[in-house]
Amino acid sequence: MLNRNSREISVVAALLMLLGLLAVFTPHFFDPQPLLSRLTAAAPRLVLACGVALVIIARQIDISIGSLFAVCGTFAGYVAATGSPWPVSLLTAIALGALGGAFNGALVAGLRLPGIVVTLAMMVTLREALRLKQQGVFVNLPDHAQWFGLPMTTGQYLVCSIAGGLLVVLAFAMKHVAAGRFVYAVGSDAEAARLAGVRPRLTTFCVFVLMGALTGLAAVLNMVQSRQVDPNSGRGLELEAIAAAVVGGVAVSGGRGKLWGVFAGLLLLICIGPALTYAGVKPYWEKAIQGAIILIAVIADGSRKGTHH
Amino acid sequence: MELETRTTKSLWLRHESILLLLLVAEVLYFWAAGRRFATADNVANMVRHSVEIGLLALVMTPIILTGGIDLSVGSTLGLCAVIFGKLWRDAGFPPWIAGLCTLAIGALCGGCNALLITRLRLPPLIVTLGTFSLFRGLAEAMTEGVDAFTSFPASFLFLGTGAIGGLPTQAWILLSLALGIWLLVHRTTFGRSFRAIGFSFEGARYAGLPVQRRVAFVYVLAGIVAALAALTYTARFGTAKADAGMGYELFAITAVVLGGTSIFGGTGSVHGTLLGVAAVAVLSNGLGRLPAAMNMASELSGMLTGALLLIALAGGLLPRWLAHRRG
Repeated sequence: MLNRNSREISVVAALLMLLGLLAVFTPHFFDPQPLLSRLTAAAPRLVLACGVALVIIARQIDISIGSLFAVCGTFAGYVAATGSPWPVSLLTAIALGALGGAFNGALVAGLRLPGIVVTLAMMVTLREALRLKQQGVFVNLPDHAQWFGLPMTTGQYLVCSIAGGLLVVLAFAMKHVAAGRFVYAVGSDAEAARLAGVRPRLTTFCVFVLMGALTGLAAVLNMVQSRQVDPNSGRGLELEAIAAAVVGGVAVSGGRGKLWGVFAGLLLLICIGPALTYAGVKPYWEKAIQGAIILIAVIADGSRKGTHH
Repeated sequence: MELETRTTKSLWLRHESILLLLLVAEVLYFWAAGRRFATADNVANMVRHSVEIGLLALVMTPIILTGGIDLSVGSTLGLCAVIFGKLWRDAGFPPWIAGLCTLAIGALCGGCNALLITRLRLPPLIVTLGTFSLFRGLAEAMTEGVDAFTSFPASFLFLGTGAIGGLPTQAWILLSLALGIWLLVHRTTFGRSFRAIGFSFEGARYAGLPVQRRVAFVYVLAGIVAALAALTYTARFGTAKADAGMGYELFAITAVVLGGTSIFGGTGSVHGTLLGVAAVAVLSNGLGRLPAAMNMASELSGMLTGALLLIALAGGLLPRWLAHRRG
């Protein structure tokens, strides 16, 4: 048990240590209201990180989610601006995201093209198409759209519990539902999975569709937090999500990883920002630190793999 | 066996001739519909603007031939541009010494990728995705997001704005690198091994090739050339900023894939890549010359380049599919 989860346990230990340091040096970090706001802001990223974790477990990659996130958010914003109730904009965003994911999935699973290049092309095509359409103009939302029409604190709790509920459901499904086990099987050895009766290409396709749908959901969870939708949102989100997954113990070679580890990885990443600010590091370093974290996490995995052989 | 080589060969010929046709069609269309497209000024302009992408695409070709990928070249360009500016302005180095140091930094960036890929056996994709963020982030951190380096001496700016023998200065750099890489890939046993590695990594290793050293070589080369591209980029704009070369990795990969190099490694050519660069360059320049598209040329060309990459990827499967049918 301890050995099997050692990667996740080390992440949790690092997280607890960081939280401990924050508690000693900046007790204000744990004030309920700012903490809730911080968690609410992280909720869309949690949804994306769960999706990306599934994609990486299936030994694929998707870097188009940042652009798809912006497209879904803008589209959902337009739907909400027409006065439709929020479930309508939520469902359209999820459907649009699933459509984008299905496109990626068809190219990757259907034509067997490498995911990185397909989603790189998708990332740029979607981003530029949105830029062409919006020319940087924000979408203004009506009053009833913010926080699902609820008071702010209730809305924040709702956003957090949607993301948290999704995490629990997906983590359960990955462990105990056949479809979840298929993702691990395909990621660790697609040929062996095929011989065992799993359909690897269908599984890969479904993972991409789910990733798209989760991107749509994340876009709405982000949209309800403000009065406007920024068509430039989502830049670099794909890297944040990949970083959370990789730090949380998802192996880049596929077939290994747990969603609760990803959750711990994401919490670790969102706590590093405030910790650095208190330590006096300028915010310009954020991107460099993110890259360094991804590299450190994969190096840690790589050397672990080395000791096993 | 002989038949098989012949079929692939004729198909390759077909791929490059299709690309050439596409290029001719692009040129004719923009000539007819664009404003001042086929003037000497605009052609020189087009060459100047495509040199950096050309350089990156040329060194991306051996990488993709070995079955790898380098997403960090654009970020390496940005970091090298900033370091060049810092060395020149803050450290007071003369431009040529600063330039040489920048090339060394580029080699270091490439070496960092190479080390992680060959020593720790990590997938190139995730390594260069990490360094993509790391190098760009370092560039942003060093300039605090706003600092820009300007007013370089005229002798340095000549590299980006001058002309030698009727051709823009940097075009000579591109041409000599193209010749060098072409000779390396198509005329030496050293370069031939890139395709062997991409075709079958284990096979190449069992055949006695020092695969890890060859793979390391292509990533270091990419770093050095990205630094060279940083110099021509800085000389062309006259400023060095942290956002230099953002998104160039996509254009470079597109040019390579469009040029017929298989994204899975093993097959491809350098002259194909040059045609691919030309196709991408003509597209983005021509859109800026269309009266209808002038104001949104950058968005449109980005979008169409992405779409073109998808089409080229799908089209690259066609020969395989046909061969499969025949077989």
